[in-house]
Amino acid sequence: MSLKEPQTKLYATAAQTKVYATKEEPLADLKSNVRSHTVGTTAVVYASDYLNKLTGERIERECKKQLDSGARALVIDFSDTELVNSIGISILLGIIDIAEKNGALVVFSDVNNETVQLFEMLGLTRHVVLAKDEEEALTNLSTSSKAMGH
Amino acid sequence: MSPRPQPPGSQPARRILGRVKRAEFVGRSAELDRLIAHAGSARDAGGLLILLAPLAGVSELMRQAYDQLFNAQGDAVPIYFSLPASDTTAVSAAIEFLNAFLAQYIAFRRNEASLAQASLTMNDLVQLAPAADLHWIEELVSAYNKQRFSSDERELVRFCFNAPRRVPSGNPKPYILFDAVKLANYDNEQVPVAGEIIKALAGSRPFVLAGLRREIIREVERAGVDYGALEKVRLEPLAEADACKLVASIARREGVSLSDECRDLLAQQFEGSPFLINAMLLSAREKHLALNSYFDCERLYVDELLGGRLNHYFTSVLEKVAPDPIDRSALIRLLSESLGAGQRTASFAAWAGRLNLEAADVENILRSLHVQEIINWDGETVDTQRGSRAWRDFVRSRFRLDALREPRALVVADLMSAALQRAPQTVARHYRRLASLPLRDVLQAFNYQRVPKVLFDYAAFAADYKGAPAEEIAARLEIDPQVMKLPQVFHTAHGVAFSGELKEFDEESCVVAHAFAGPGYTTENEIVWLAAKIDSKLEADADAVEEWCNRLDKLAQRSGFAHVQLWLIANEGFSVEASEKLRQRGAYASSRTQFELLSAQLSEGLNKSPAAANNEYVFILPMGADNELLAAATAEQIARRLNFRPEAINQIKTAIVEACINASEHSLSPEQKIYQRFQVEDDKLVITISSRGVLPAKVVAKDSAANDTAGVLEQRRGWGLKLIETLMDEVEFERVDEGTSLRMVKYLRS
Repeated sequence: MSLKEPQTKLYATAAQTKVYATKEEPLADLKSNVRSHTVGTTAVVYASDYLNKLTGERIERECKKQLDSGARALVIDFSDTELVNSIGISILLGIIDIAEKNGALVVFSDVNNETVQLFEMLGLTRHVVLAKDEEEALTNLSTSSKAMGH
Repeated sequence: MSPRPQPPGSQPARRILGRVKRAEFVGRSAELDRLIAHAGSARDAGGLLILLAPLAGVSELMRQAYDQLFNAQGDAVPIYFSLPASDTTAVSAAIEFLNAFLAQYIAFRRNEASLAQASLTMNDLVQLAPAADLHWIEELVSAYNKQRFSSDERELVRFCFNAPRRVPSGNPKPYILFDAVKLANYDNEQVPVAGEIIKALAGSRPFVLAGLRREIIREVERAGVDYGALEKVRLEPLAEADACKLVASIARREGVSLSDECRDLLAQQFEGSPFLINAMLLSAREKHLALNSYFDCERLYVDELLGGRLNHYFTSVLEKVAPDPIDRSALIRLLSESLGAGQRTASFAAWAGRLNLEAADVENILRSLHVQEIINWDGETVDTQRGSRAWRDFVRSRFRLDALREPRALVVADLMSAALQRAPQTVARHYRRLASLPLRDVLQAFNYQRVPKVLFDYAAFAADYKGAPAEEIAARLEIDPQVMKLPQVFHTAHGVAFSGELKEFDEESCVVAHAFAGPGYTTENEIVWLAAKIDSKLEADADAVEEWCNRLDKLAQRSGFAHVQLWLIANEGFSVEASEKLRQRGAYASSRTQFELLSAQLSEGLNKSPAAANNEYVFILPMGADNELLAAATAEQIARRLNFRPEAINQIKTAIVEACINASEHSLSPEQKIYQRFQVEDDKLVITISSRGVLPAKVVAKDSAANDTAGVLEQRRGWGLKLIETLMDEVEFERVDEGTSLRMVKYLRS
């Protein structure tokens, strides 16, 4: 469910979010409640419906773990994300920072319009590539990886 | 427990202690109602203090209350007692109280009004006691007869003032109305009268105690009674309209012929003092004088001041303050000279030197003058520019007659001449005041209210609104998006209090208002508004504006005001050149029309209609556990009802989430709760998120500039407020005593 149209529902808290597993990779760390998988040297990490301090830190931890495991690019997918707060955004900036230091690229995929506006307001879009969806993100990364001779 | 209403056809309300009929009792209806209601709440009520300004008059108020309660024959038995004015010892006053108490109690119980003031011995009173009260009255009188031969005066005084406590619990309770305006007369008694009265009253609730405000507060505190627990009624001199009514009413009652002009003059000249007004008209009656011209009034005034009731009263005040004739003479000289020199203040040491007295004696004199509000004394500085106009005339004439030994005829002539010259000015000032704009009131009503900005910009107002029908102006102002938030004014004074140069103008023409403009009570947020009314029949010109701006700037500079806002008001507004000048100097400008619109808006804001509350939703959420999402969901529901666009709804939700996070993170809230108020208005949604706790430093300092200069990646946190400001149309921190209150507005059009 996206926020293209505002929905009358109470958002599930991070503690209540479901634990997902994917076909490609089993869930690495159940405690983090963060869904992720890898495609080659790219790690895809899924943000939850509400990106706040708690869920943001979980994503950060997952991203660090993926980078430590040799990931050369990160895709953070926001397809489930309806609301992002400023603390969540500051944590995303931290992730971008860490990725840059590790020489990894960061792509945000499937970000709803309102969240894009927030990212623009706070200058995040200057540091990341936005992709329509995960597939486009992976394609973009694959192209730029080839261009860079990886 | 309330007074029983009289059945139809019962006897008419009797005048028992009241000196005037109820219909002739002017200007104190609200206070009278308070006194009656206080008796009605007898079971739980405590004491009620009447804090009286000197000469404001209280005895008739208490007498009227007595009569009303007596005639109602309810459960409370009114007992009125006024401390005798002079030549009475503490013991005599206490015995008089006991006698009055018994006489009035029996009068009420027998419903025989004539007994309330009858001169009766204790034995007479026992004889008259109704059967239901005979036992305790007999016991009381017997105990008194034993007590009065004791050598312990204090014990006897205490016994008498505590007599009401001896009424058995099953019998109707006495309701003591104690007039202690003359309490200062007992200062030199060995028995501490004030303490005994107050302690006795505190044990015999409910009661009413009236006294001079500066004295009674001190005595209550000295007696160890909890001042905060007592109800208070403040009695000031009568308002102008009531003073006029009182003058007319007394003149009618006393058969004194009085013109309307003289009615207004007397009301103004005696500054709404029932005591002085009454004294003048009683003298007019006694001397068979008509008061149909200023000349009639001032001739009587001078006679009164130099030998009549006014002279008697002021002389008795002086004698109480300085009993020794030599000290009194020195005091008159000192007071007269300080009035003449126009020098407001002097030190305690200067007074001690001039009076040539021991410090303790000077202290007693100053305290007495302070209680009478003839001076202001804070323990060190003495401000002599106080007291009524009549008092000042009295002091000057006494000085000339007694100290300078000037011929009486000369003093009379000068006094008369000055009074006659002053009379038209006094009345003119009154009429001007009636017609003038209540500048101080308006400034005091600011109180952080939001008003259309155009009300302070004459040029813009003239361009957009001038000539439009009143209804259209009001309707357009209602939806004017350009609003400004006014500061909270905490002190106002006439400009003349800050600068003697403003004496040449009407007192009302310039006001200095100290205020706070921001959310915190900090030096940075403090601002002084200097408002002035320009007297001009046409649009005020550039010269007048320049002159006033310079005058006010000078005042600000001399007074050391750091942040200043000038505001000029001219009946017909300002010329184009004047408006340009005002713009250059950053001054606000309003015409009379703008001022009146502003005044109306501010009054509306202070008396918000209940209808507004019907469009208001208030929620309280605990902090944490992502509860900001609940707030966001609520906002979404409300915003949908207002037909906000989906994008705007998301912006509102994000702003609310940020506001809740701010409240949770920075407030150190002791109760961990977030208060949300949603006000739905025609064209907007107003959301206020508040919490108790501390006011974050960044809110106080508004330190957003530092954030702006930092690089994006360096800014890890602290974006909440910036986000909110971007997402909402208006954002500001409201002033609250603790914690934060963030007000956000989203317009439908946005």
